[in-house]
Amino acid sequence: MEYRVELVNISKSYGGISALKDVTLKVGPGEIHAIVGENGAGKSTLMKILSGAVSRDSGKIVIDGQEVQIQSTHDSKKLGIGIIYQEFSLVPDLSVAENIFLSQLDSHGFWMKRAHLNQKAEELINSIGFSISPATKVRNLSIAHQQIVEIAKALSEKVKVLILDEPSAALGTHEIQKLFDSLEQLRQEGVSIIYITHHLDEVFEIAGRVSVLKDGTSGVSLDVSDTHKDELVRFMLGRSLDTMFPERQTALGEPLLQVEDIIPSGQETGISLSIHKGEVLGIAGLVGSGRTEVLRAIFSADSPIKGKLFISGEKQRISSPYEAVKAGIGLVPEDRKQHGAILSLSLKQNISLSNMKEITNRFGFILSGKEREIVRSLIRKLAVKTRDENALVSTLSGGNQQKIVLAKWINSHCKILLIDEPTRGVDVGAKLEIYHLINELSLQGVAVILVSSESEELLGICDRILVMRKGAIQGELHKEDFSEENILRLAIGA
Amino acid sequence: MMKRKRFLKVLTEYNTVLIFLIMLLVSALVSDAFFTANNLSNLVRQVAPIGIISMGMLLVILTGGIDLSVGSVVAMIGVLTGLFTYHMPLPLALLAALACGVLAGSISGYLVAFHRLAPFIVTLAMMSIVRGLGFMFSKGAPVIIDESAAVLTAFGSGKFLGIPNPALIMFLVFILTFIVLKYNAFGRIVIAIGSNEESVRLSGIKVSLYKYSVYAIAGALAALAGIVSTARTSVGSPVTGIAMELDVIAAVVIGGASLMGGKGSAVNTLLGVFILGMIGNIMNLMTIPAYSQQVIKGLIIILAVFLQRFQEK
Repeated sequence: MEYRVELVNISKSYGGISALKDVTLKVGPGEIHAIVGENGAGKSTLMKILSGAVSRDSGKIVIDGQEVQIQSTHDSKKLGIGIIYQEFSLVPDLSVAENIFLSQLDSHGFWMKRAHLNQKAEELINSIGFSISPATKVRNLSIAHQQIVEIAKALSEKVKVLILDEPSAALGTHEIQKLFDSLEQLRQEGVSIIYITHHLDEVFEIAGRVSVLKDGTSGVSLDVSDTHKDELVRFMLGRSLDTMFPERQTALGEPLLQVEDIIPSGQETGISLSIHKGEVLGIAGLVGSGRTEVLRAIFSADSPIKGKLFISGEKQRISSPYEAVKAGIGLVPEDRKQHGAILSLSLKQNISLSNMKEITNRFGFILSGKEREIVRSLIRKLAVKTRDENALVSTLSGGNQQKIVLAKWINSHCKILLIDEPTRGVDVGAKLEIYHLINELSLQGVAVILVSSESEELLGICDRILVMRKGAIQGELHKEDFSEENILRLAIGA
Repeated sequence: MMKRKRFLKVLTEYNTVLIFLIMLLVSALVSDAFFTANNLSNLVRQVAPIGIISMGMLLVILTGGIDLSVGSVVAMIGVLTGLFTYHMPLPLALLAALACGVLAGSISGYLVAFHRLAPFIVTLAMMSIVRGLGFMFSKGAPVIIDESAAVLTAFGSGKFLGIPNPALIMFLVFILTFIVLKYNAFGRIVIAIGSNEESVRLSGIKVSLYKYSVYAIAGALAALAGIVSTARTSVGSPVTGIAMELDVIAAVVIGGASLMGGKGSAVNTLLGVFILGMIGNIMNLMTIPAYSQQVIKGLIIILAVFLQRFQEK
């Protein structure tokens, strides 16, 4: 069989720590090949080697039967390899069209033919089933639409091999479906697609073959039709997955938080909801349905609260995150890297941030012994994989970074925790731990509001689910009505 | 191979120290006069005002901001100190002068922190306003401090344990800054703000208050530097400190601080101050003309910052 891309015995180590060891991967033309594995398994490194962003220590790369040298991203581009990273590489202040054709802007003579570019960009975006105005600045697009622009950009370069690193993380169900449609279309045109994902469901939906990476070595490569989800999880974890979700024993206490007619920033509809002590309340809905905005409004993240907010029956005046935290509210934001963790600081510095009072004396001097004790016990409790509390958060995997953000709020002893997409870009193992953590917090009496795009997740750990659509709460589901279908029905307004 | 890597890591981590040592070595080699007590005493006295201000600038830069008004504040406070000595007892005059510095910094801080104006522009405007005020208060002429304040002049030119008093004040300010940055919640939050302001805000910290404070502190320290220079020369002149902010920023940057914020230390900033000071000092000893000095100084700054680039690779 003829392969489009062959990565043979690729090895790579960083400062003595082996990231990849003798990894082999073969992808045929017109094949969608999924790569799964825990964070840190080496998926992204392997793809960066193929795209020339990272140099390999040994091994060879063969394209269409010929061994090639890929030393830089320029080399890989010339060979027709396109890659879309988890972190977008768009220029926020340029328009959609300018971003798409960025690498080709200089080949059109002195004058930029804006109208021509816009038209070409529009055609490209339409061809993958979306409509985004090509003259819009990328800054003003939603994350989902930015993702689409990334894909259009890769396509504009007429790729033979397209690598997508967790493309669905930022997309809602609808957009994912459109993305899949366009990938399928590309596949039929003979493009080889390498698709990195944490979502096993997606593997079965679009991929023809799947490879599992574990601890930097190549595990198995299988035809998707020959395997099933549990088997893949077993290959990834090296152990079997008994239950995804913790046994939920709800212990509802008295009503804790009550929100009446608060208007999230940029929205018009007032939102009312209430939550009991020890309850896990889910908020479902499509991307852009206003879920994040509700959490941010309760936290006064964008502007002072418009509307009424009661905690334990007492009306609160909250006009800033400072006051929200003082009232016992915590927020784990959607964008872990920009708004949650501070990557360039240590674990210790991150975890202490929400509760500096506890670890400082009257004059603001840090009681380092006490701080170390608190931080270490949290690191142990949350099973954060790290060298010690002084390591930088940037050295942690996505799942462990998220645990640090959660640890920060546990440290603040908050009574109400607002959590926005906690498991996005997080591997299966860490997901499980996060679910258990949320469960445990609720058992301790914390009221949790959880926003998630994964229905399965909401159904697994929530006591009650609100479904949002177009900025309003469309319906409320209780345990007995829990089903993916019910969520979807309310979310799309069917 | 591993050994080499570790060596390179140490090299980049301590590159400011390294540049400092190289400067020291070069200075000692090119001039016999460098390592004399007299010259070293001169050197620390000369760098004192820049050293004092650099600690305030460091705090501002750590938050990702900048303060261009410090040179003008030095001049205005010098003038005001001189004028105040005619109207009130010395301690009160000094307090009033410091308060004016805090006020100047507070205006910048208020506009930057609470109205989200760009620090570069706000402090550029303040630079002009404060410089102008200095000229207005002094009517364009230097103000000689009143005889009643002779003790100030004595202090300014005096020494303690062989160290010139202005330098002692600089070291004191340095030690305070060092402690605050390393062991105090204020310092930690300032660094965190420069690393990721939004995350800090969403952790329930009053970011605006901290941003405001660093400009107020920078104003206070610039005022302190103004008082120290006036004490040394016994004159408050409206033309001192022109382009001084650039030397201060250069020192902080040579000390490895990032203008994007979140990165920088008090020790390295002090070393940066001395590196810059030594460049001037050694060229004076070698009697290099002032114009060439400026060119050479600029080149050395570029070289120093170049060496720090290795850190990121």
